[in-house]
Amino acid sequence: MLASQRHTYWLLIVPAVLLMLVFYIYPLIQVLWISVTEPYFGLQNYEALLTRPLLHRIWLTTLRICLITTVITVILGYLVAYAMAKVGERQRTTMMFCILLTFWLSVLIRAFAWVMLLRNGGLINSALMSLGIIDSDLPLLRNEFSVIVGMVHFMMPLAVLPIYSNMSGIDGRYVSAARGLGASPWEAFWHIHLPLSKPGLIAATILVFVFSLGFFITPAILGGGKVVMISEYIQVSFEETLRWGQATMLASSLLFAVLLTLALVARFVDLKKVFGAR
Amino acid sequence: MKPNKDLSKTLYEKDLYPDEQSFAEDCALIAAERLRRGEIDRRSFVKALGMLGLVPVALKFGSGSAAAQAKELVIVNWGGPAVEAYANAWGAPFEKASGTKVIIDGTGPLASKIKAMVEAKAVTWDVCDTGTGTTLVLAKQDVLEDIDYGIVDKSKMAPEFAYQQGCANYMFSFVLAYNKAKVASAPNGWKDFWDLKKFPGGRTLRKQPNGMLEACMMAAGRSPKDVYPIDLNLAMSKLKEIKGSVVAWGSGSQSQEVFRTGEVVMGNIWHTRANLLRRDSNGEILWNWQDGIVTAGMWNVPKGNPAGKETAMKFIASAQDPASQIELFKVMGNGPANPAAASMVPEDMRYIDPGQPENMKLQILQSGYWYEEPSGKGKLTNDELSREMWLDTLSS
Repeated sequence: MLASQRHTYWLLIVPAVLLMLVFYIYPLIQVLWISVTEPYFGLQNYEALLTRPLLHRIWLTTLRICLITTVITVILGYLVAYAMAKVGERQRTTMMFCILLTFWLSVLIRAFAWVMLLRNGGLINSALMSLGIIDSDLPLLRNEFSVIVGMVHFMMPLAVLPIYSNMSGIDGRYVSAARGLGASPWEAFWHIHLPLSKPGLIAATILVFVFSLGFFITPAILGGGKVVMISEYIQVSFEETLRWGQATMLASSLLFAVLLTLALVARFVDLKKVFGAR
Repeated sequence: MKPNKDLSKTLYEKDLYPDEQSFAEDCALIAAERLRRGEIDRRSFVKALGMLGLVPVALKFGSGSAAAQAKELVIVNWGGPAVEAYANAWGAPFEKASGTKVIIDGTGPLASKIKAMVEAKAVTWDVCDTGTGTTLVLAKQDVLEDIDYGIVDKSKMAPEFAYQQGCANYMFSFVLAYNKAKVASAPNGWKDFWDLKKFPGGRTLRKQPNGMLEACMMAAGRSPKDVYPIDLNLAMSKLKEIKGSVVAWGSGSQSQEVFRTGEVVMGNIWHTRANLLRRDSNGEILWNWQDGIVTAGMWNVPKGNPAGKETAMKFIASAQDPASQIELFKVMGNGPANPAAASMVPEDMRYIDPGQPENMKLQILQSGYWYEEPSGKGKLTNDELSREMWLDTLSS
């Protein structure tokens, strides 16, 4: 009885699995296949990953920007989430609304908004100048700085939400108990609250890092053609120079990078627990 | 009219996308914008857009070949309002002259789509409106038909733009545009462009090397007639010289945007966009033809096109009619490819036509031959190697 019931439940996921197989797994296999068959069979495309300085630089740029973005986003996100967990119900609703509002804005609009803010004679530069802090425009736009600013802005909700959902489940009495036993506020936070919020922190780090790896529009606009990340080069190889072997190899290497990240993290933490599957 | 407005809005959003963008795509955007502003009426808009693809005058279809005539011909351009335009203005006359029904597809003849279609043996396009860069890339993939210069008249275009697998449908130029208010005097040629001391301020160059390398060579002191063969190492060192001041543009509208935001005072941009900047800034932003690099939009025919090669070639030949190219120029601003059309351009519009003799003599014609040649590095052509080196230098 029980066993047959379990079989029936399996049937429920058949449509979803079929959909995944046909529209996701099969094309993915095709991508992998092209990466070892174009222009001819072999691993020459992957070899290029090791031998071509241009690809090295693009990958290094991508990793550097993603790491910096992740660190800044997670720290800022943690602060916001912490505040959200502590404030009253009404403030919390307002904060949540503001976070979701940026989440709903088009990535394109957000990038152009940063262009307006960061450009020479833009809001930030002219404000600093009228305050007498600077004499000439700071180079804030079309460089790695502006790319990171744009990406951190985009990623914030992705950091805040998992951290907050974890923090809201932490019993505040633990910290109170620590304080009652003589811990300073900092000690209570460091030894009690921070370890308890680790799962949210890890989930946010993974989410932000993995998402950042594939970023395309923000670097393309705010980087001014001088900050080329892996996705932009995939697009150039695929659409413009028609080097599909190279494009699919880069796409595959991006996928492997994500899997590698998850595998590394899984060595230290229980991922199922982090993502709430257990 | 409301539907038009919506269409041009769609195009504008597409334009915002920081994709690499072809000149042909940019032309459709400019025309849509002009229509929206009410600068051109719908009728002439429709008419002129159609010129890009289909020309009803002077059709010279061989008599008695009706049996061999295809049932329909699919022209692919960059879409939006151009689709309806093609169908209304040119579909009907073409059908009358040839018995071939014309379908207009505005999905955009992306190189990757053409390759995918040909390789899957599922070609649905007959004639595509692309550029020299795309033509060269596609030619190397062996997915295009050779242009039949028995049907298409080579003498009705600059010989530089008669490629083996693509030929000119109109001309345009990469020119030096500058903000008059922000430079001490009008810059004259690429040496001035590179002179950051005399003309301080930002510069804009294209993300792709096509049209930029030539400027680098002239800035390095090569005389216009000795620009080719391009010395790529020299070109890259010239780029490095000013890279700190460079913002790269991908789409035509981006090249305008960086002038408007004040990020740059000079740029190497398409003359059509330079002309829009001149108009929008009330003459504050100008360009000159000195050392301009003239290039061409291209017709391509994918291998195994459904209407058959001959029908496609006949269509291309029909689009060489000078009067029709003038019509196109009036609305879109891209210069007639047929030299015979130059004298037919109205007096007051000659200063925006790259093909006018007085403008032409200041400029150079881009050489597709150099781009096609092997670079000597691996199996890469000069075109491929230069793209790689340009991106590498720009992003280093």
